[in-house]
Amino acid sequence: MTAAARRTHGSTTVSSGTTLAVEPVIRVDGVSRWFGSVVAVSDITFDVMPGITGLLGPNGAGKTTLLRMMTGLAAVSTGTVTMFGEPVRDNPPLYRRIGVMSEHETVYGFMKGREFVRAMGKLRNVEHLDDAVDRAIDLVDLADAQHRPMDTYSRGMRQRMRLAATLVHDPDILILDEPLNGADPRQRVHFRQLLGRLAADGRTIVLSSHILEEVEQVADTVLLIVNGKLAASGGFRAIRAALNQRPYHVRILCDAPRELAAAIVGLASVDAVHIDPDGSVVVLSRNVLDLQVELPRLAQARGVRLRRVEPLDDSLESVFGYLVEN
Amino acid sequence: MGSIYSMTVRQLSGRWRLGIMTALAALPVLIAFMMLRSSSAPSVWDFEDAILGAMFAGSIVPLVVLAVGGAAFGNEVEDRTLANLTLSPVPRWKIALPKLLATITVAGPFAAASAFLTAHVAFLGDTQASLAVTVAAVAGVAMYAAMFVWLGLMTTQAVPVGLLYIVLWEGFFSGFVMGARLLSIRYYAIGIMQALDPRRFSTTDLLGPVAAPIAAVVVIGGFLLLANRRLRTMDVP
Amino acid sequence: MTGTVFDIGYQRYGGGREGRKRSRMAVYKDGFRTALGFGRGGRAKVLPWLFIAILIVIATVMALIAGAADRLGGPGAAERMNLPSHSDYYGIASVILFVFAAVVGPELLCPDRRNGVINLYLVRPLTGGDYIASRWAAFLTVMTAAACLPQIILFLGLSMGDPDPLLYLQNHWLDIPRFLLAGLAVAAYATGLALLAASFTTRRAYASVFLVGLFVISAPFTVGMAEELPGNAGAWMSMFNLSNIPVHVNDIIFGEVSEATEDAPARALGPTVLTAWYLLWTLGPMAILWARYRKLTP
Repeated sequence: MTAAARRTHGSTTVSSGTTLAVEPVIRVDGVSRWFGSVVAVSDITFDVMPGITGLLGPNGAGKTTLLRMMTGLAAVSTGTVTMFGEPVRDNPPLYRRIGVMSEHETVYGFMKGREFVRAMGKLRNVEHLDDAVDRAIDLVDLADAQHRPMDTYSRGMRQRMRLAATLVHDPDILILDEPLNGADPRQRVHFRQLLGRLAADGRTIVLSSHILEEVEQVADTVLLIVNGKLAASGGFRAIRAALNQRPYHVRILCDAPRELAAAIVGLASVDAVHIDPDGSVVVLSRNVLDLQVELPRLAQARGVRLRRVEPLDDSLESVFGYLVEN
Repeated sequence: MGSIYSMTVRQLSGRWRLGIMTALAALPVLIAFMMLRSSSAPSVWDFEDAILGAMFAGSIVPLVVLAVGGAAFGNEVEDRTLANLTLSPVPRWKIALPKLLATITVAGPFAAASAFLTAHVAFLGDTQASLAVTVAAVAGVAMYAAMFVWLGLMTTQAVPVGLLYIVLWEGFFSGFVMGARLLSIRYYAIGIMQALDPRRFSTTDLLGPVAAPIAAVVVIGGFLLLANRRLRTMDVP
Repeated sequence: MTGTVFDIGYQRYGGGREGRKRSRMAVYKDGFRTALGFGRGGRAKVLPWLFIAILIVIATVMALIAGAADRLGGPGAAERMNLPSHSDYYGIASVILFVFAAVVGPELLCPDRRNGVINLYLVRPLTGGDYIASRWAAFLTVMTAAACLPQIILFLGLSMGDPDPLLYLQNHWLDIPRFLLAGLAVAAYATGLALLAASFTTRRAYASVFLVGLFVISAPFTVGMAEELPGNAGAWMSMFNLSNIPVHVNDIIFGEVSEATEDAPARALGPTVLTAWYLLWTLGPMAILWARYRKLTP
C-alpha cells in the first residue's frame, strides 16, 4: 500500500451508516510532566485529526515539553500518548511514519546538505533513496546549495534542509517545533503553501509557533497551552465564540456617529456603545449575528450612511491575548 | 547502522585529534627504542610495569579512548543532534553498537600500532609477545570505549567522571589495593596480555588466562546493554 | 495614516555608570563563582567540591597518621620516622590538583567562547586583556584556596595532635608562610596551563583530557627516558616531567627534598635553573593567554 493510500485508508473507519467515523491519529490522554517540583505540563488531553493543528502558547507554557512527549523523545510522568493506536515511547518502528523537526537548530556542520538528508533517509529505510532525497530537497527549494557543507548555510537554509530531512521518508505525521525560526517572508509563504499541499494529501501536521498570523492562516485547529494546561482547542473562531463572557468589539465608521449610537444602544444584541475621539462608534456585543442583521436595517431607517464595519478582536491574537491574560 | 557508523567516524576524526593521537602513539615506541640502545637495559618486569602497565595501559590508552568515546554520544547530546538518531525506526542497539565500533575504529589502530611497535622493539622482534601486547591493547581500547560511550550518554560531565576513574581508580587504587584490580579494565587487559604469552609475562596478577577474556566480554557487553537501556529510557535533548 | 508614539514613562538610566574597574571585578567574581559552582544548583557543585574534599581527606589522613605515630612512639616520632609532612603534601596531592585544574579551568573559558557570550563581555568597557586577566585571577584564587586549605588543616591537625600544641606552634610556625608560598606556586602553575589549554578549544571535554594527558603521560615517559639518557641530558629530560615542575620549587621553599622528587635527575641542575624553569612554565602560559585574548574584539 503506498503511503498516500495508507493515509486515506489507515485513519478512517467506515460505520454501517453513510457517515465516516474517523479515528484520531494522535491521542494525548491525561498527560502530565513534572521536573522535580516544577510542573511543566498538567493533565492535558486532546485528539489530533488529519490536517494542520497549531500549538500555541506563551514562552514556557510547556509546548516543547508536550511535543517531545508526543514524539516519544521525553517520557511522560503520567498519562499516555498514542499514534495510530500505538504507544510512541519505546516503539522505534513507529518512527517510520513520523517526521519530527525539533526547535534546536544544530546540525552536523561537516556534512553537506544532501549528505545529511540522505543519511536521515537511510536511517529510516527509505526505498529509492536518491529519488526521495531529490524530491525532498526540491520541496524546500535548496537544490543549488545541496552540495555545500551545512556550516556554510544561513540560518534559514539550515532550517529548510532540516525540513527536507524531516520529509525525506514521506511521513504520515509531521511534528514541527517552531519550524519558521529564522525564515524570511518569502520562505514563510513558500512554507505555508508546502504545508497546505502536505495536509491536502491526508497527512497530520502539528506545528508549534509563536507567529499567530501564520498559524491563523494555516491551521484548521488550534491548541492553546497556557501554564502547562490546555486553555482552549478547536477552530479559533469557535474558541472566540466560546469565550462568551467577553463581548465582541465592532467598530463602525459612519457619517452621523451620535445619531447611530443613540439608535444602536436600544438594540437587544448590544451590551454597550461608545464613541472614540476620532468619531468612530465602537459597539460591544455578545450576539454579533443579530447585530449583523439589525445594524443595516437601523442605519437605513435613520438615513445614516455606513462607511465601514469591522470587528476589532476577531483574530487569533485577541483570543490568545484574552486567554493568556486570564 | 552503517550510516551511523560512518557518520560517527567522521565526527570523531579531526586533523588535530589524529595528530595528537599519532604523537601519543609514538611515545612508548620512542622509550622502547631508547631503552634498547642504552647499556643498562631494564628487566622485563620494569618495562612491563612502568611502560606498558602505567604509561600505556594506565594513561595513554584510557585518555585517548575517553576523548574519543566520551565524544561519541557526548557531542551529540551537547549539540542536541541525538534526536536525529533516536527518531529512526531502528532498535536502540543499532544506535549504540555503531557508536562503539566507530570509537574503536578511530582509537584502536593507534593503540594497536603503538603496542605492536613498542613490544617489537623492546622484545627484539618476538612476535608472540608483540601480538600479545597488541591484542591486549585492542581489548583495552574496546573495554574503555564501551565504558566511555555509555558514560557519554549518562552525564554531561562524562569527561571529568572518566578522568576521576582513570586517575583515581585505575591510577591510584588498583596500584595499591589488590582487590581493586578485580574491577579494573587496565588489569583485565594486562591479564589478557599475560594469558597470550605466559612465558614472557608473569602471571602474578589476579586474573587467570580464562578469567581475563571473560571479564573483557562482560565489560563490553555489559556497557553496551546499559547504553541500550539508557537510550530507551532517557529524555533525548 | 498618521502614527503616534505614546509616552509610557520610559526613562533613560540617569544614575552613575561605573567603569572598567567594576567590569573587571564582575568578571572576576563570576569566574570565582563559576569555578566553585555557586549559584548554579547542586550538580554544578559536585565536581569542584569533590576534589576539594579529596584534597582535605589526604591532609587529614596525613595528620592522623602523624598523630598516631606520636602517640605510639613518643613526641617527635613522626619526624623521626620521616612521615610525610607539609613539604611532601604537594608531591602527593599534585595529581589531584592538576586534575582539578583540568576539569574546572576550562569551565571558565570554553563555554563563553562556545556560546558566543564572550562577545557580550567585549561590548562592555572591558578589553579582551581585562577579561582574561580577571578570569585568570579568579581561577588563581580558587586554586590557591584549594592548595592551601588542606595544608592549613594539616597544620592544625599536627599541632593539635602534638602533646604540646603551643610548643609545636613555636617550633614550626615557619611552615605556615612556606606552605602558603608553595601552595601559591603550585596554584599559579596549574592555573596558567589549564587556562592556556582551555583557550585553544571550545569544548571543555577536550581541554580537560588534553591537560590530564599532559600531566599523566609526561611523568612516566620522561622518567623512563631520563633513565636512559646519560648525565645532563637525562636531567633535562626529567625537567619535562610536568607534574614535578612546581614540586621542585616546593622543595626549594622548604629546603628539603620531598618524596616525589627524591629520584628526579632534574635535581642535579640546581635551584636557580629549577626556579627559572618553573617561572617559564608559569609566566609563559600567562603571556600567551594575554596575547591570544587581548586582540579579541566583539
